[in-house]
Amino acid sequence: MNISIQPPAHNNPVHLGKILRISFLITLLLAIGLGFVYLKNRQFGLGEQIRQTEREIRQVRSENEVLLARLAGLSSRPALQKRIADGFIAVVQISSDKIARLTPPAQAVDDGGLRTVFNDSRPQ
Amino acid sequence: MRRPEAIRIAIACALAAIVFTIFSARLVHLHVTKHDKYARLAAQKHSMRQPIHAERGRIVDCNGEVLATNLPVRTVFADASHIKDPNAVARIVAAHLGIVETEIRQKIESGKKYVVLKRLVPAEVAAALHREMQEQKLRGIYFEHDSIRTYPNGRMLGHVLGFLDHKRKGIQGIERTMNSELAGRDGYRYTERDRTGREIVLYRGIEEDPVHGKTIRLTIDMGLQAILEEEIDATYRDLKPETVNAIIVDPHTGDILAMASRPCFDPNEPGKALPEQMKNRSIIDMVEPGSTFKIVVAAGALNEGKVDEKTMIFCENGRFAYGGRTLKDHHGYGQMSVHDILVKSSNIGSAKMALLMGGDKFHEYVRRFGFGERLGIQLPGEIPGLVHPPSRWDKLTITRMPMGHSVAVTPLQMAMGMSVIANGGRLMAPRIVKSIETKDGSIAENEPRLIREVVPEKTARFVGGALAAVTQPGGTATYARVNGFLVAGKTGTAEKVSPAGGYAKGKYVVSFLGYMPVENPRFVCLVMVDEAKIASNLNYGGLVAAPVFSRIAEKAARHLDLVPTEPSITLQQDPVAAALANKERNN
Repeated sequence: MNISIQPPAHNNPVHLGKILRISFLITLLLAIGLGFVYLKNRQFGLGEQIRQTEREIRQVRSENEVLLARLAGLSSRPALQKRIADGFIAVVQISSDKIARLTPPAQAVDDGGLRTVFNDSRPQ
Repeated sequence: MRRPEAIRIAIACALAAIVFTIFSARLVHLHVTKHDKYARLAAQKHSMRQPIHAERGRIVDCNGEVLATNLPVRTVFADASHIKDPNAVARIVAAHLGIVETEIRQKIESGKKYVVLKRLVPAEVAAALHREMQEQKLRGIYFEHDSIRTYPNGRMLGHVLGFLDHKRKGIQGIERTMNSELAGRDGYRYTERDRTGREIVLYRGIEEDPVHGKTIRLTIDMGLQAILEEEIDATYRDLKPETVNAIIVDPHTGDILAMASRPCFDPNEPGKALPEQMKNRSIIDMVEPGSTFKIVVAAGALNEGKVDEKTMIFCENGRFAYGGRTLKDHHGYGQMSVHDILVKSSNIGSAKMALLMGGDKFHEYVRRFGFGERLGIQLPGEIPGLVHPPSRWDKLTITRMPMGHSVAVTPLQMAMGMSVIANGGRLMAPRIVKSIETKDGSIAENEPRLIREVVPEKTARFVGGALAAVTQPGGTATYARVNGFLVAGKTGTAEKVSPAGGYAKGKYVVSFLGYMPVENPRFVCLVMVDEAKIASNLNYGGLVAAPVFSRIAEKAARHLDLVPTEPSITLQQDPVAAALANKERNN
C-alpha cells in the first residue's frame, strides 16, 4: 500500500495568538520608547526650569549685594557727614528727658549737675 | 542542495561574519581599549569645568559697621559666531555700555568666540542689556560674574584695611593678613553644553559648593576712628608736618580702637596713591620716642628697689657731665623725687635712675615693656624697632636711652608700653581682629593675649600717679587736660635722626602719650607729630601734640559716655592754636 501524506493545498491559517503576541510586544516596545522620549523631554524641560530658577536666584542675590553695597556707601560716615554739610540731614540734640539710661550717671560733685566736657579750642 | 551553491552561501556567510567581526572588534577596541581617551576627548568637546566663585568675606568694625564689602559687576563679552545681525547688536550694546558703535562692530566682526566688550559693568546695566537683547530676540552677548571690593568709608582706616591686587588677593592691611579667611574657596561644577552653548542640566557632573569667605570683625570702633581722623586731619592741614600718627588702645585688652596716619590713601583707588601714602606708620616707622620713654626707667628703678617714692635724686642744677659730654635739662633742678622727675621730665634724673639700675637691668626693662620686639598685631610689616644690647652701647647710651634717645621704637610699641602703666603692669598683645564669623553664624573669638607681667600693680599705680600730675598745673602737659576728667600722660620731644648721621638740627618729632580716666583707664591715646612747620619755641610735645590729645580724649569721652568725675575747669586756648589763629588773621 502506497500511502503518501500530501500537505493540504491551502493550509495557511491565521495564527491570531502569534499576531497578538507580536503586536503586544511591538506596542510595548513603542510605549517604552515613547515613554523614554517623553521622560527625557520632561527631564530636559525640568533642567531648563532649574537653570532658569538658578539664574533668577543668582540675579536676586546679585541685586541684593548691589543694594547692600550701596546701603553701606550711603550710610558710611563720610557720606553722612557730607549730607550734614550739604544740609540734607540735620543732627538734632536729644533732650535729656528723652534719654533712657540703664545705669543712671553719677552726679558730679559740688553743684550736683552733670557736666559735659568741652574743650574745642582748635581754630575753625 | 547542490555543492557549488552551498559553497557560495558559505563563502558569503564567512565574508559577512568576517566583516561584522572586524566591525565588532573595532567597536570593542573603541569602547573598551580606547574608552578613556575618547571619553576625555568627548568631555573636552562638550563638558566644561564651571567655577562657582566664593564670595569674599566682609570686614566690619566692632559694632558691625561695614568697612569693606563686595559690589557685583559683570564682564560683558561677545561670541561672534552666535551673532546674526552685528549692526543691531552693536547698536543695543553701544547704547547700554557707552561704547562707540563702530568699535563694537569691529570686535564682533572679528569672528572670535570670546571678545570682551567691557569689564566692571554695573549689574543693573548688564541686566538691562540682557533684557533688551531678549526682547529683540538677539543672541551672542554674554555676561561673566565678577565683583569689585569697595570700602564705603574711603580713605578712613585705609592703612588698616589695605586693598586687593588685580587677582583679588590682599596685598596690604587686614586684607593681606586675613586673606585666607576672607577669600574662601571657589567651588566648581562639571557641565555639558548643547551645540548652541546652553548648559544641559541633565548631564551635570560632579560639583562642589564654594566656601564663602568669613566676616572679619575688627576691634576698631568707627566712632573713635572718625574722631581720631578728624583731629589728625586738622593737625596735618594746620601744621603741615611730614607725618602725623595717632592710636587709641584699650589698655586692659590690648584692643586697637582707632589707628590712623597721615599722609594716607583711598583703598578704593590704590593706583592713585604714592608709596609714602600707603605706609601704616604706626607699625612700620621707627622713631626715637623722647621723654615718653621715661616711664620705663622710672618703673624699672622702682621695681628693682633702686629708688622709692621718697628717694631724692640730685639733678645737678640742669647740667650733668657724664662720659665726656654734658647732659642738660630744660630747667635747672636740684633734689627731686621720682614723682617730680616724671612731672618735670628731667633728663638728668632719668639718666641717674638708669645708672642706679645698671645697663643690663635697664635693658631688661626696656625689653620687658615690649620694645625691640614685634608685638604680633595682625597687620603686615610690623617692625621690632631697634634696641641695642648693653654690649653694643657706648658710654653715653645709658644716660641717653632713659630719655628716649639711642633707641628706636614704633608708635604702637609706645602705646602698648603706656598701656602697661594704665592697666596695672601687664603688657597685652595688640589685638585688631576681634572675631572671625562664618556665614552659618559660628563665631571664633580672638581672645585678648597677655604677653607678660612687666611690673607689679603698685609700681604701675605710682608711675600713673606721677603721670597724672604731668597734666596738672606745673606739669609739662597742661594742654592735655580734659574738662571733667583726670588725664595721665607724658610728653615727648625728640630731635629727628638725620639720614646723614647724628641729629637733624631744628627738626623734631613731638608726641603726647596719655590715658583717661586715671582711676579706671578706658583708653590710651598716642598723638605723634613729625616735623610740624611751626616756630621752634612752640614745637614741643606739650604744645603741639597734647592739645590734639585733649580734643580727641574729650570727644572720645562723649562717645564712650564717660561720666565726668572732676570739677569743671576753664581751659585756656593753647599757644599753637593761638599762633595759627593769628596767622590766619594776618593773612
